Amino acid sequence: MDGLAALPSEGAIHKRASRKRTSSLASNDRSASSPPLPALHHWLGTPPLSASSSRDLAPNSSLPSSTSAVTSKNLAPGSPNAHRRSFSALYLRESTPGRKSLRNRQASNASIASTYTNHGGGENLHKSLLRSKRSQAHQEHAENGSMGRRWIRYMHKRGLKSWVVPSAVAFATLLKLALGVGSYSGQATPPMYGDYEAQRHWMEITKHLPFREWYTYDLQYWGLDYPPLTAYVSWICGYIGALINPAWFALDSSRGIETAGSKLYMRLTVVFFDLLVYVPAIIMFVKVWQGTRSKRTQEQAILLLLLQPALLLIDHGHFQYNSVMLGLTLLAVNFFATGNDLLGALCFVLSLAFKQMALYYAPAIGSYLLAKCIYLGQRHGTTLFTRLGLTVTAAFALLFLPFYVPPFAPGPLHILHPITRIFPFSRGLFEDKVANFWCASNVLVKWRRVAGEGETGRRWLVRTSTALTALGFGPAVAGLLRAGWTTRIKDHTPNTKIQAKAKADGSETTLASNPPPFLPLLSYALLASSMSFFLFSFQVHEKTILLPLLPLTLLMSAAPPGSALHNWGALGNNVAVFSMWPLLKRDGLAVPYVACVVLWNRVIGYDLVGCWEGGVVQVLSLAVYAAALALHALELVFPAPARYPDLFPVLNVLISTPVFVLIWLWSLKCGVEVAWALGGLGGSSKDRAGSPAAVEGKGAVDVEGAGTAVEGGAGARRRRVEGTGGYFD
Amino acid sequence: MNEEKQQTVSRRKASVTQNDTRAQTDIAEHTGQGSDLRPKDTRWFTWNITRSDWDILIGSTTIKLLLYPSYRSTDFEVHRNWLAITHSLPISQWYYDTTSEWTLDYPPFFAYFEKLLSIPAYFIDPKIVDLQNLNYDSWSVIAYQRTSVIITELVLATALLRFIPGSVDPSVQRIISAALFLHPGFLIVDHMHFQYNGFMFGILLWSILMARNGNKLASGILFAILLNFKHIYMYLAPAYFVYLLRAFCLTPSGQVEIKNFLALANAVIGVFIASLGPFAVMGQIPQLLSRLFPFTRGLNHAYWAANAWALVTAVDRILLKYIQFTGAKIPVDADGVASSSRGLVGDTVFAVLPQVKPIHTFIITIICQLAILAKLWTNPSTKSFLTALTLCGWTSFLFGWHVHEKAVLLILVPLSLLAAERHAYFRTYLIASVAGIFGLFPLIFTPAESVVKVVYSALWLAGVYGLLSRRVYEYPKSAIYVVIDLGERAYLAGFIPLLAFVTLMSLRSHRISSPSNGEDTTSSNLEFLPLMVTSVYCSIGLIWAYLRLGFIYLFEESTYQGQLSTIQ
Repeated sequence: MDGLAALPSEGAIHKRASRKRTSSLASNDRSASSPPLPALHHWLGTPPLSASSSRDLAPNSSLPSSTSAVTSKNLAPGSPNAHRRSFSALYLRESTPGRKSLRNRQASNASIASTYTNHGGGENLHKSLLRSKRSQAHQEHAENGSMGRRWIRYMHKRGLKSWVVPSAVAFATLLKLALGVGSYSGQATPPMYGDYEAQRHWMEITKHLPFREWYTYDLQYWGLDYPPLTAYVSWICGYIGALINPAWFALDSSRGIETAGSKLYMRLTVVFFDLLVYVPAIIMFVKVWQGTRSKRTQEQAILLLLLQPALLLIDHGHFQYNSVMLGLTLLAVNFFATGNDLLGALCFVLSLAFKQMALYYAPAIGSYLLAKCIYLGQRHGTTLFTRLGLTVTAAFALLFLPFYVPPFAPGPLHILHPITRIFPFSRGLFEDKVANFWCASNVLVKWRRVAGEGETGRRWLVRTSTALTALGFGPAVAGLLRAGWTTRIKDHTPNTKIQAKAKADGSETTLASNPPPFLPLLSYALLASSMSFFLFSFQVHEKTILLPLLPLTLLMSAAPPGSALHNWGALGNNVAVFSMWPLLKRDGLAVPYVACVVLWNRVIGYDLVGCWEGGVVQVLSLAVYAAALALHALELVFPAPARYPDLFPVLNVLISTPVFVLIWLWSLKCGVEVAWALGGLGGSSKDRAGSPAAVEGKGAVDVEGAGTAVEGGAGARRRRVEGTGGYFD
Repeated sequence: MNEEKQQTVSRRKASVTQNDTRAQTDIAEHTGQGSDLRPKDTRWFTWNITRSDWDILIGSTTIKLLLYPSYRSTDFEVHRNWLAITHSLPISQWYYDTTSEWTLDYPPFFAYFEKLLSIPAYFIDPKIVDLQNLNYDSWSVIAYQRTSVIITELVLATALLRFIPGSVDPSVQRIISAALFLHPGFLIVDHMHFQYNGFMFGILLWSILMARNGNKLASGILFAILLNFKHIYMYLAPAYFVYLLRAFCLTPSGQVEIKNFLALANAVIGVFIASLGPFAVMGQIPQLLSRLFPFTRGLNHAYWAANAWALVTAVDRILLKYIQFTGAKIPVDADGVASSSRGLVGDTVFAVLPQVKPIHTFIITIICQLAILAKLWTNPSTKSFLTALTLCGWTSFLFGWHVHEKAVLLILVPLSLLAAERHAYFRTYLIASVAGIFGLFPLIFTPAESVVKVVYSALWLAGVYGLLSRRVYEYPKSAIYVVIDLGERAYLAGFIPLLAFVTLMSLRSHRISSPSNGEDTTSSNLEFLPLMVTSVYCSIGLIWAYLRLGFIYLFEESTYQGQLSTIQ
């Protein structure tokens, strides 16, 4: 029966196709406002197109990539489009009228389909047959190929639809609690213990000391070096914990306390804040960014994000509160997508104020907001810019209030204490063995020797790493700003109806509260920016891979198993956990490491061999997994040689770093493609208006009269644009 | 156009079923004409494992793996010690060794099983099987023993899988099988507390499966084997005895089937010879029996199992308090007063009520079981057998001498198979499961594990209830049913405040005991109270559910035909 539901009825297809045709003629026909394909990313308030269309073939990557691959391979090698493979695939996909209906027809009756497509020639019959077979297999896989999907389908069939999300959250919580039974970082290793003790110690000092001593008290023993929001949260946790049992957070005397009760309390605070911030953020993300996808796809995305192994292991095994910082950033991104820029900015400030690592996202988010200001034009843009500036400044001022206002702080200059604690440039280039550029290249080039001794050397390293990082995220930032510029609303010539309408109404809110067309760039920019920080910046921990993982996992969350996007996401996640293996092993989390990774891959239906197409990412994945497994086997059998005690961690770094570099390059490439597509569709570039794709894009824009029009236009662009991301292989 | 659509649909359906051999089998069975469609199904080693089955296995194994470092009871060291005994001593010494206080007190098959396990253990870490290496708890032994539990539990998983084809409604049986495999009882007792119940209940379920499939000889043999693994299954033996005698060794008209009888008798004797033979040759049977049946223990186990005696003991304690408080002139046993102040430790001696001797418990158990067995004798169907089996175990649990709380699994496992029969069974199952699982909670008292056990059980209960309740719902027939229904709901809802009370008390006791361990009388009383309340509250539910099922079985069964009755 599922198969039936997945197929739109023939009538609907015809209707849609005919709508499409009439719509391009009668540009003011509002009834024809639905685009031929469901838009990619939608935000709150956009109604789903229809049950059938959203189920089957929704966004970017849900078009089985095999189709595109085959399609592009169909092109003659010498054809002028051959070098633009991914685009040509999209081009074919969108220029064929009712492409989607065709595909389904192929699935049902290949011979009819092949004649209908006007591809002509007998060989196409065979090719489209092949294609239909493959796409069928893919669809089968997408519907039923993963544990999450199967479970969701089962629940839906039993009439337990409304239970899916609650029970998914409950299961994830159970998993987190079970993980919490195990050991944490620095367990039973006096005198300093580990990250767990640091967090517990902060609860202890914030509970007992006045604000002025928070950032100055006994810095040698885990002095507070996170921004104020962490301190406030610690204070609340310490306060409540001390109500339950004062011994858990007694000043000084509770150092290194490891009773079962205090451990459970600490674990529960992580689970609680996870449920308070991260889980709602995930659910909102799915609703906002994937609102047009089928309910099952959304639920699968929630499952995928909930069970992400790296975050589970670090937060609930190793012990940290990363999910709060990530959740706040995710909320910010969600609010940007709904057009609530100020709320989004506030959330991002909170994220920054919880953990300074969120700075990895700052270039992307900052340039997005700037691009939006540019996009809105001089008047509205300036207004937005001012508001954003005021919000951010006020938020930071409020958050740091107790550290410079006299009744709490000795004087305004006291604020230097938290600032210097938060940004410690006095530490080394990297910590332990981390899978970034510096540590990997350190095998060949001894950077410390290159930089020279002492303060000058350190300064050189800081400068070089900062420059490289800026180079790393530069393209993403430039892409966003350029997209803002090319799609900007000119005061005299509005380039879409919605802009015209907004201008006519004189309502500032309509424009500002709608997301700009370059919104999809943001996800790639977040990935590029955080990954370049991870790879090139100064003083990086292995755990910081969680930051690039968030946008990567968000991107993959709605992609069907077997698509290139899905493969990139799964590869990134698996390698990220693998790159943290030395840390996890030290924490005694070897068994949870295996269990969580296996479970997650099963839940998302990661099947490299079953969907083999020989794409770049698949070959790369196979090679990397083989190397990783070999390394694990080696480590299990042989002890590290005495001469090279760090042999295994270094090998780990050498396996992981190339993958991260490739993901970074891939994100840049996707960003460039998206930006290029945006520019190509912009109202300003008339030269491309002749191309079929642009015509269709224009058509979609023109058709939409008012209200949700931007959605349609932007959706069409975004669809194209995201698609390109999915076809990198 | 419609034709086209139909075609596609049917093709898709076909491709779906190709991946789902179970569905194929079901279709074939229902249509009755698909003998060529399922050639594989006739072979016994075709499990028809679907991808969803693997999902359940992987999901549950993940949780079990995460619980590796969790709390483990002394049973963990008991089993490690048995590994050491069977590995390093000759078989003649197994039942004599007293190096550790945890002497071997399971029947010989289990000793052989431990011997088998000790062989790989030696290669993983020789210290595991070192007899003198008491209380060894390195990572290697934890991982090894926990893994052995997970792997041997596959016996249970395979039995449950085999229950699905051939059941009346495979989709319901699938839910029941999953519910049994994921049972919180197994998670708590096997994967945290540490025992091999999953393995042994797997054998029991294989035996029941054989009975269902009509292979009663195999059923009897498997049960004999099971008895030689763990003698607690003697609780179920009367039902097996009557069932096999009536349904296998006698014809429906009462003639003796001498061939069947001899086959069964020889097989069972063979099993016992294989098990006890070596020890009989060495003349160690008395020593072995004294290990297996230590009659020196008290009426109640350390925590009172949630049975009738918990209720009686609680009444006695309350009466004692009442007498001490009011000074009423009622003779009080001094030993009983001492016993009550000791809380949970040691023998239970009543202060006010007359003392209970082993013979009393024995007589009560026998009388209750006789009524059930008489019914089984008149109606030896599979469903009747399953119900009688459950009730037999239940009677022994409620009235037996020195019953462990873990024995509640003997009720819950066979009862699960009846859960979806009809609403009355489902309600019984629900009450017994909640009360029984809650009664297991005191086994795990460490904070982090307590949270896991509660969340896991709640999730399991929600899943079972959500999937099964609507399928068996019946409208209450008269006012009395409405009253009973309300009472039961109130009872079930009462577990929430009970949980809150127990949690608060444990928080309190943690807080008190952490700074000073001096005053143990007050703290032990405080620790004792939640345990006592738990036992009493759970025992009320278990006794009520027992009466409920017993009533249905004895008086209603002939009028009502459920799903299982159609299988013979």
